[in-house]
Amino acid sequence: MNTRVVVTRIVLYILLIFFVFVFLLPFWACIVTSLKTDADVFTTTPIELPPSPTMAPWMRALNALGRPLEISFAFTAFATIFSCLIGSINGYVFSKMKFRGSNILFLFFSIGIFIPYQCVLIPLVLTMARLGLYNNVVALILTHTVYGIPICTLLFRNFYKEVPNSLVMAAKTEGAGTWRIYRSIILPLSVSMFVVAAVLQFTSIWNDFLFGLVLLSGSNLPASVVLANLKGTTTVSWNTLMAGSVWFALPVVIVYLVLGRYLIRGYMAGAVKG
Amino acid sequence: MIIKNLTKKYGEVQAVKDLNLNIEDKEFVVLLGPSGCGKTTALLCIAGLLIPDKGEIRFDDKVVTNPERGVYLRPQERGVAMVFQDYALYPHMTVFKNIAFPLEVRGISKSEIEKKVKKTAELLGISQLLGRKPKQLSGGQRQRVALGRAIVREPKIFLMDEPLANLDAKLRVFMRVELKKLHQRLGTTTVYVTHDQVEAMSLGDNVAVLKDGVLQQVSTPAELYETPKNTFVAGFIGSPPMNMLEGNLVEKDGQLMIDLGGNTFELPPQMRESVKQAEGSSVTLGFRPEHTTLAGKRKENAIEAKVEMIEAIGREAHVHLTVGNYPVVAVTSPAEDLTVGKIAWIVLEKEKIHVFDGKSGKILA
Repeated sequence: MNTRVVVTRIVLYILLIFFVFVFLLPFWACIVTSLKTDADVFTTTPIELPPSPTMAPWMRALNALGRPLEISFAFTAFATIFSCLIGSINGYVFSKMKFRGSNILFLFFSIGIFIPYQCVLIPLVLTMARLGLYNNVVALILTHTVYGIPICTLLFRNFYKEVPNSLVMAAKTEGAGTWRIYRSIILPLSVSMFVVAAVLQFTSIWNDFLFGLVLLSGSNLPASVVLANLKGTTTVSWNTLMAGSVWFALPVVIVYLVLGRYLIRGYMAGAVKG
Repeated sequence: MIIKNLTKKYGEVQAVKDLNLNIEDKEFVVLLGPSGCGKTTALLCIAGLLIPDKGEIRFDDKVVTNPERGVYLRPQERGVAMVFQDYALYPHMTVFKNIAFPLEVRGISKSEIEKKVKKTAELLGISQLLGRKPKQLSGGQRQRVALGRAIVREPKIFLMDEPLANLDAKLRVFMRVELKKLHQRLGTTTVYVTHDQVEAMSLGDNVAVLKDGVLQQVSTPAELYETPKNTFVAGFIGSPPMNMLEGNLVEKDGQLMIDLGGNTFELPPQMRESVKQAEGSSVTLGFRPEHTTLAGKRKENAIEAKVEMIEAIGREAHVHLTVGNYPVVAVTSPAEDLTVGKIAWIVLEKEKIHVFDGKSGKILA
């Protein structure tokens, strides 16, 4: 290695370390603040270590967020499963069964990805109210499932395009019907895509604020909304808020840690042959 | 199996046009033609994976496809088994599971499946591979698994779409023989698609030659070789292919001759009547490379040619010559005393020559 390469390397690493520092700073501030007593929050800077560490804010936050987290988890899990499953079936149909107008229909599905939440807010609330689902978790499951279908359909359709048509044709001649082919051939081949879609869906549904805010109320509010409310109206209890943020972020972090390796494999699927 | 007036279009492209084919029970029929000739389309129509625009397909007396009458049996109801060019093995299943799949779909009992799969595996010599996944198999092994999956449920008809195309040359020849043996043992009616004429000739009881979706000729391999119906079939069958020289018919002293431009070739008298049926005076003289002898000296009724290149390939030599502007290949013994760049005279076996109409390409004699 000549000196020029070494110098570039050193500069590069200094830059990278600097950016790592910048990116991790909020997390650091979040965690240290969450461990401080009420008094320490105001006597120390946000990045200083807590002089007398305490778990009290964590307990307080969990008290406030306990039930909302359960609610969030319930609708996120169901909506993730449903949207992935429906997306997978749609993707199978759009990639392996050509029918009149299938391309136009797929286009409409894809447009669904670009419809902002705010556009549908009023009709959505009115519809749910009329269905008697207002302030019911089912409303949120339904909404997030429907909102997730376009992106999941697109993901699975593109994934299944890579599955050779001959597999489907072979299964057909061997006597399998459409559902049997889906169950025995298509579904087992798409585990990695399910992981990718599920992680994406889980994250976006879990983090959603708007739908939870307008469709649920009172003791049924999801964690994202309750977390924002933790701030209070007059004074901000920063330590509780930060502890709540950590609690709220935990499930997504766990999902990424557990499924991370599948995620990379899934993103790579189709990129390399074999 | 009877195919009547089968027609299929993809947009403006006519993939198959008015295909008529009768396939006898236990017959091995090969659909042969260059890529894009509609042979795979025809096969997919037989399997029920494609619905034709027109025509009818019957298995025994049962109509399985007739779009005009609204008859269409789904592939799973037809009792056909298909082997694909890429083998189409299910990558997530073991060899055992792959072969068992068609039986499982039919709801056959576990013990019965086990018995049948083992028997099939034994027949194909893949018993030791049953626990492996397709990824862990070689090309030839995958090919056998695909065959196993097709034969395990004892279908009425086998459909094979270029099953040997992805194998290397040596294995292809070996598997060709295996396929033939398998057919002799099982006696299942087989429709086999290929663009390889050697494969077609060696496997088929009958060979159907297609070009641009149109059936050119259906015959036994021997007939196809000896009496091709037109210049396309003549040029497609045989390796090296038939030589063709274009010329004009002339009559001199009551003798019918072909003027090849610089050369005239006298036709045998028994061909006279049929050759005179030609639409115009232009005809094509066809002769196979193996039905020639080369002479270093001028001979009667021989065609003068220039030696361009000699390929000595062991048992025989392929001599490349030019007659006027036309390339000609002659198969001779490697001992022949010829020099590149010199003139040689091609002597034809009179009984083995063909004359085609210059316009339509149809055979005259």
